[in-house]
Parts: sequence; structure tokens; C-alpha cells
Amino acid sequence: MHAIRAENLSKSFDGRVVLDNVSFSVEKGDIFGYLGPNGAGKTTTINLFLGLLTPDGGTATVNGADLGSDDEARRRIGVLFENNGFSERQSAYENLRYYGRLYGMEDPDSRVDELLGMIGLNDRAADPVGTFSTGMKRKLGIARAILHKPDLLFLDEPSSGLDPDAQRMVRDLILSLASSGGMTVFINSHHLDEVQRICSRVAILAGGQIQAEDSVARLTASGKERTVWIAFEGGNASEHVILAVQNLPMVERAEREGEGIICTLTGEGRVPDLISALVAAGFRIEEAKKQSANLEEIYLRYVHSGEEAS
Amino acid sequence: MNELLTIARKEFFQAITNKGVLIAAFIFAVWFPVFTTLGILAGISGDPGTALAGHLASISVMLAIFMGYLFSSDAFFREKKDGTILTLLCAPVSLRQIWEGKVLGVATAAYGMTLLSVLITVAVAFAFSPVGITLPWLLLVHLVLILPIYAAASAGIIGSAQLYLGMRENQFLGMGFVFLFIFLIFGLQAFISPEGGVTIQNELFFFVLGFVLLLLGRRWAGRLSKERIVRTIA
Repeated sequence: MHAIRAENLSKSFDGRVVLDNVSFSVEKGDIFGYLGPNGAGKTTTINLFLGLLTPDGGTATVNGADLGSDDEARRRIGVLFENNGFSERQSAYENLRYYGRLYGMEDPDSRVDELLGMIGLNDRAADPVGTFSTGMKRKLGIARAILHKPDLLFLDEPSSGLDPDAQRMVRDLILSLASSGGMTVFINSHHLDEVQRICSRVAILAGGQIQAEDSVARLTASGKERTVWIAFEGGNASEHVILAVQNLPMVERAEREGEGIICTLTGEGRVPDLISALVAAGFRIEEAKKQSANLEEIYLRYVHSGEEAS
Repeated sequence: MNELLTIARKEFFQAITNKGVLIAAFIFAVWFPVFTTLGILAGISGDPGTALAGHLASISVMLAIFMGYLFSSDAFFREKKDGTILTLLCAPVSLRQIWEGKVLGVATAAYGMTLLSVLITVAVAFAFSPVGITLPWLLLVHLVLILPIYAAASAGIIGSAQLYLGMRENQFLGMGFVFLFIFLIFGLQAFISPEGGVTIQNELFFFVLGFVLLLLGRRWAGRLSKERIVRTIA
């Protein structure tokens, strides 16, 4: 059974199609990144899974259940929205305790202590949440989401408003939850660097449809097999070298990057052919590295093609 | 039941720690009934106990309704406006339990403030009345039975409306409530004239009407959907 499954999921608002026959699934233990531009329907998808919205067509199930009608199934789910869901006048401790009780924990105090220690807010436990910084609230929000030890976590922009240190802490926390706790994590994010670092699989939503769904490694590997970075003996490549490389038949474009040059090959061009041609032309190669695309490039490509198609 | 009480406890705490709302509620709870009561006592020709009881019966119902409205803004409207309610809707509790818990918490705070207002009003009336005042026992029934129903009915209907309506409509709801309140001030005083005092018939009427209003709010809450709430947040 899939942890999360969308089958032909459709949703429109006032005649505007937001999701059009969207299908994808997330396996147990995966960290799944759900990407898309603003207004693409990412939050709508999460709301459909959480039972906050009803689909016009298709199904959205979590652990095989419809969370909209199954109160008990929601007990196994943790959620973090962009709003952290806290009462600002209550203390961090009271807020966590409140949610612990709502999730049926008989004695949430020791777990609350444990989590406040884990996120480094033990000394602020008695302070009203309204006095916390954005980052502190976010960390507390994550603590709240995992308070009842759910087996599936929905995170909407988990790093939003966090400084680099806190972002790293959140990343490490998500990774440890998935690796040691076997938790499935569904992340809605614009933070492509973060998604590339922690997600095992991603789906890109644009134009109301899933444009790509695969592992991050496969997506990025498929995106730039025609690009190679080459450094020559003796340091920086001169204009003469760049021009010479540019004139090779298998090279479409060559430009300086760092101490080497980036070569984009033609459709028929192959990296071994390029290396052989350079050596034959008398160049002494210090280092050659096949480039993989970053997720941002892949994302932009799919988003643009998805938006054009719609 | 545990979840319901957990929500109620939290909403009660929220209500009694909101300084802005507390100050507004306290000023209204003291200023309005005390001054109108002094006016009633100054102009009355019959038994002051009967007059005070009649006046308190109508004015305390209005206060309970007003306090229910005042305290419910934090529990329903603010939570909807800032999106906090989304997290609550994902918890393993039904929408009905959420509504009931919030109404219980808000109504408890509203009822407490209404009782406080009545006690202060009675104390001021006793202090300033030139003659001795004996209040009828029926007023106690009114305070114990009728007022909590109106505090809960008010919080329940306003809460359902705030969850059902969009943000802009909610602003109109606030204005509409002020007009309703002005109407109630005159309407209820016409219904219970101070000279007539508090009667069993009046109390029965109050009870039935309050109960119907409470059921109305509960029925409305039962027809609410999470989708309706989520789609009217923006």
C-alpha cells in the first residue's frame, strides 16, 4: 500500500481548473518534494489529501484512508502549514501540550520536554509563542507536527522564514525522521536547493498537471548529459583556448567557468569524442567533469513547458 | 469528550487572557448596566426589588449575548483569519467537536463576565437605593439557567457565522450585530418592563427562545464543511 496516493485528482475553483487528473504516489519512508510555481495547486493538493477540500474527481488517500471522513486516520498524520497553528498568548509548552491532548496523548509532558530540548527551546518553554522569532515558531511548529509520533508528515514550506542555521537544523531533522523513524514526509516547497538535498523523489506540478515525477538523482542526471566542465594544465583557459574548443565540430558552445570552461555538446556530440579531439589538438587536460543539472534548471524547464501547454 | 474539554479549556484561557477584549468587556459590563440601573431606580414608583429584577433580567440577557459575541472573535474569527484553524481541522476531532469545544470555552468566559456585571450592578443598586431591596428568587433561576444558554447561543451562532462567511462578510456581520444589539436593548425592555418584574412566563419564554437559538447555532455548525471554512479564509 502506498503511503500517499492521488488518482486522477481534479479540482476547480469557480470554473478555474487547478488540478486536472493528477496522479502520483509516495512510498512509505520516502521524502517527497512537491514543487510548482505559486498558484499551481500545491496547497490545494495538500488540502485534498488532508480532507480539508473535497475533490471534484478522483481520489486522494493517505495510508489508504480518506482523511476527510476518517478522524482516526488523522491521528497518524502530522501537519505543518505556513501558519504554524499556535495560540500566540499561550506558552510553547502549553501549545504543545494542547495538541498532545487533542491527539489523544494521555501524558504528553515528557514528550513535550523531549521535543523542546531537541529544538533548543527548553529555556523558552514558559514564554508566550507571540514573543518568538519566525524561526523559533517554525521549529516549534515542526515539534508540534511530530509530537504524537505520526508515521506521515505533511510540511508546507518548512524552511520559510528560517535563517541558514535553522534551515540546516530543519533539513537534518527531516532526514533523521525519515531515516531513523521510517517516517514518510511530503514537502511542499519553493526552496529547490533544500528539496534537492533532502528529497528522494519529487513531482513538479504546473498547468494543473504533473509535469515530471521521479527520483531527484534521475531527474537531474537526465537534464544535462550534454554538458562537461574541463580544466586545462596551467590554470585559467585563455580566449584562444575557448575559441579553439568552440570550433570543434561536436561543441555547440564553450564559455569560461571558474578555472576551466563549460562545453555544451551538440546533439550528436559525446564526451569521449570531445576529450580525444582536445588531446589530438595538443591540449593537456587537467580535469574533466560531466555536469549534472541542478533541480532548479529541471524545475524551470518543466514549469515553462507545463504552463505553455496549458 | 476529552478532546472537547481540551478545546474548551484552551478557548476559555484565550478569552480571559485577551487584555483588549477583557477591558472592552469589563467597561461594557460595568458602565452600561450600572448607569441604566441607577436611572431605573431613580424613576421607579413601585417596589424597587421588582423593578431591579425586571431590569436585570432583560439587561443581563443582552449582556450575555454581547459577551458571547465579544469573546467569540478570538476563538473563531481570528483563528480563521490567521489560518490557525487549518491545523485544528487536521487534528483527529470532528468539526462538531471543535465547534462545541470552542462554544463551551467562550460561553464560560462570557457567562462569567455577565455574572460579574450582574453582581456589580446589584451591589451598586443596593448601595445607592434609598430603600431596602429584596430580589425575587426567580432572578436566581434566571442567572443560573437562562444566562448560560444565551451566552452559548450567542457564541454558537456567531461562531458558526464566522466560520461560514468570508472575511469581508464577517466585517458586515460585526456591524450587523451592533444594530441587533441596539434593537435588543429596546425590544427586551419593551418585553419586560421593570415594573412588571421577572415572571415565570418571561423566564419560560427566555428559556425556549434561548434553547432554540442554541440549537440553531448547533444545526448551522453541523451543516458546515471543512471545505467551506478553508475556501472562505482568503
